[in-house]
Amino acid sequence: MNEENFDPKQSLLLIESMINRAKDKFAEDGSMYLLWGWVVFICSLTQFVLMHFFKYPYHYLVWFASWIVVIYQVVYIRKKNKYRRVRTYTGYILGYVWLTFVIVIFLLAFLIGRLTTGEYYSHISPILLTIYGIPIFLSGIILRFKPLIIGGIGCWILSIAAMLIDNYDYQFLLIPLAMIIAWIIPGYLLRAKYKLQSQ
Amino acid sequence: MFKDLDPILHSQLRLAVMSLLISVKEAEFTFLKEKTNATAGNLSVQIQKLKEAGYIDVVKQFKDNYPQTICKITPVGVKAFDLYVKNLQTYLAK
Repeated sequence: MNEENFDPKQSLLLIESMINRAKDKFAEDGSMYLLWGWVVFICSLTQFVLMHFFKYPYHYLVWFASWIVVIYQVVYIRKKNKYRRVRTYTGYILGYVWLTFVIVIFLLAFLIGRLTTGEYYSHISPILLTIYGIPIFLSGIILRFKPLIIGGIGCWILSIAAMLIDNYDYQFLLIPLAMIIAWIIPGYLLRAKYKLQSQ
Repeated sequence: MFKDLDPILHSQLRLAVMSLLISVKEAEFTFLKEKTNATAGNLSVQIQKLKEAGYIDVVKQFKDNYPQTICKITPVGVKAFDLYVKNLQTYLAK
């Protein structure tokens, strides 16, 4: 590949084939969606059982399990970066979309009790569902992957539905439901697409 | 005959490298080598030429004790690539 003389047609073909080669890998294998989808699904459902059936006052302690997953994720990302030889714009933007999401969730965890009065916990589910929809919807747009777009919109629909449910315990059940439609189902579909392409 | 075409870009391997780099944020030397099927020696010579022209940025660093060369297209490179494609189109229109 080093002859200096080649005609313009060949030039255009070369440019086209290289651009296609650069983007030929669909980089998202869905593992993070599945990991977090299942973790939040299990934690929130466990919390519901502790809260509703056992009336256990410290039901929220179940979320400490997610810290173990955070540590696992840090190790996983570091390992993945070690083998990464190319950085695409898609991956770069997606990284910041999820970072924004994590920052907003943490900020809200601190702010929600201070900003809302009365039974502040009754606002948590609709607010969380509204925010869950953002990174999922954006990821769907960036990756051009419809199940994520639908999942994101699904979260927003559930956030409206949450307002119609008076019982806080039952309202809380919308969180695991959101995990199924926005994380777990798109996660398996992403994995299937990724496997299909690597064959 | 092709006097309007940028001689730095009108070379198969250099054009291949530029086309790959215009599609991604940054890429490692080994990625470019794999996608272009070039030899390491030839690829480093062409990368050096692109770097001297100011079309790409090359960062050499160490990652877990292994040397790593990261290439990234510059704004000058994007402009040159754009102009090259525009000039190509005038040839094809003839």
